[in-house]
Amino acid sequence: MMNKRTPLQSVTLYALVLALVIFCVFPFLQILSTSLKHPIDWGNPSLIPRIVHLDAYKELLGLMPAKEVDVPASIQRLLDNPALSAEKKQMLLAKFSSGGDVFPFGRYMLNTFVISFITGICSTFLASLAAYAIARLRFPAQSLMANGVLFVYMVGGVLLMVPLYQMSVNVGLASSAGGTIFSLFLIYLIQTLPVAMYMLGNYFRTIPFSLEEAAMMDGCSRVEAFWRIIMPLSKPMLFTVFIYCFVIAWNEYLFASVFLKQYQDFHTLPLALQTLFTSKNAIWDRIMAASMLTLLPVIICFMLANRHLSGGLTDGGVKG
Amino acid sequence: MSSVLIKNESRLGLKLVAPAVGIIGLLVIYPILFNLYLSFFDVQLNGSKTFVGLNNYTELLGNPRYYHSIGVSVIYLIGTVIGTTVLGLAAAILMNQTFRFRNLARGLILLPYFAPVISVVFGWQFIFDPVNGIYNHVVVDVLHLTNERENLIGNPDSALFVVILFDIWKHFPIAYLLFLAKLQSVPKDLYEAAAIDGQNPWGRFWHVTLPELRFVIATVVLLRVIWNLNRFEDVYLLAPNVETLPIFTYYQAFAGIVDQGAAAAISVIQLLVLVGLIWLYVRKVLKW
Repeated sequence: MMNKRTPLQSVTLYALVLALVIFCVFPFLQILSTSLKHPIDWGNPSLIPRIVHLDAYKELLGLMPAKEVDVPASIQRLLDNPALSAEKKQMLLAKFSSGGDVFPFGRYMLNTFVISFITGICSTFLASLAAYAIARLRFPAQSLMANGVLFVYMVGGVLLMVPLYQMSVNVGLASSAGGTIFSLFLIYLIQTLPVAMYMLGNYFRTIPFSLEEAAMMDGCSRVEAFWRIIMPLSKPMLFTVFIYCFVIAWNEYLFASVFLKQYQDFHTLPLALQTLFTSKNAIWDRIMAASMLTLLPVIICFMLANRHLSGGLTDGGVKG
Repeated sequence: MSSVLIKNESRLGLKLVAPAVGIIGLLVIYPILFNLYLSFFDVQLNGSKTFVGLNNYTELLGNPRYYHSIGVSVIYLIGTVIGTTVLGLAAAILMNQTFRFRNLARGLILLPYFAPVISVVFGWQFIFDPVNGIYNHVVVDVLHLTNERENLIGNPDSALFVVILFDIWKHFPIAYLLFLAKLQSVPKDLYEAAAIDGQNPWGRFWHVTLPELRFVIATVVLLRVIWNLNRFEDVYLLAPNVETLPIFTYYQAFAGIVDQGAAAAISVIQLLVLVGLIWLYVRKVLKW
């Protein structure tokens, strides 16, 4: 019925689509554009920089040549003293070269990657076991669990931040960096598990039971049938769910800010960026470049999983 | 099935759900109860507590900031729920047409939903930056609507509306996906019949699309209310001066004069409201 379009209708349609796409994409273009602009160019409303300026990226990725160290004359005299050991000289120099100017972006990115990756793997694995049981097996309290997941899925993090923080203080996890990161990992697991269970449960139901039955006729146990039939057939969906969990953990700010505040070495990107923004080193091009680099992995994930994502999200209910 | 098989199956089922359910029980169900317990105490960051009975609640109910944050939350909820639903529906109808580059367009409009809040808030901050931002450039220098450059995000009253716009931008893709999925299942002959009856596109929307989408619209509205009631990051990171209920709770729990007992009390009250909404969702939406 939509085949016959008058030229006016076509133009309107494309104009509306274009308007919607620009609305969605404009903030991203703004980030990209500002990250590439030289500070003198910020007042220029055009999105196209006059000159492409990559310093912010180089700085974040550690590609900038080391700056000449400014050492006051009095210290220089100390350094010239041959009686001073080389080690002491290094220590003195370090005080002047490691200003507050250094933002260990690579380290923060690695922190975020590791915790998101582990969360994604564990969540997908545990969710696939539970989702299979809820979708296929009969056991006591099954429907209670299926509905319970729905409830859990809707309780937001804000409602749990005080008790979770107090729990980790009470069991002593909050007093060490390792314990804190472990608490954070567990919290990310519960933030992602219900969604993952939902998406996978609905997917498993679309796989015909006769396939498992046939495998079990051939002598597979139920568990083997699950591993050999269901899991391989679900690979695309498992991957999508992994990506989804990975991205949720990658983007999380609230709990990271509550738990990691005092462990600066273990900050994740959202927390580090927020700290950078409120610090004296807040410079638009650097913030935008950092934003861009934080975005990039998400966009890559999104492109990899896009095909199954839309379907999975609408089947599985939606979080967020 | 023999009883042995049934028994084995249920044992396996329990074994498979045990880890997930155990973690959820430990980190969601228990904390909810623990939170209720904490709300009767004066709780410090280091974990020390003294019993104060209903004190947290009575103090909270006498605190004008609490009511103010409820008011801000209500405006925020109304704005974002209506905005995401309407824009999501419009986008779904648009993207349900066939046109060139449709797949590209469909992909691009999902981007705001997946992007990390922390990245996109800076883009939005820059757009509304009083010195360099495009918003002030357009309003002041191009359209001459006002004479002075304004810091919209700096002022809590106007920042609320920037936050609402931001959240519509960020979350309409989800409403759009749910609507699109439903639209694709509306039988084509309904539209053809309506066209034969002489309905113009607007009439077809009114008499076919809307009635078919009724339940999805209700689902989207209810889900958005539930999610946005708890929304913290978007608001806090874009404009920390907009004090919705979650932001108020956060300040009570972790900033300034820390009062985690009061924060627990707020969460208990909010959870009661939330349970009501979830009950409504399970009762009404899932039964449809």
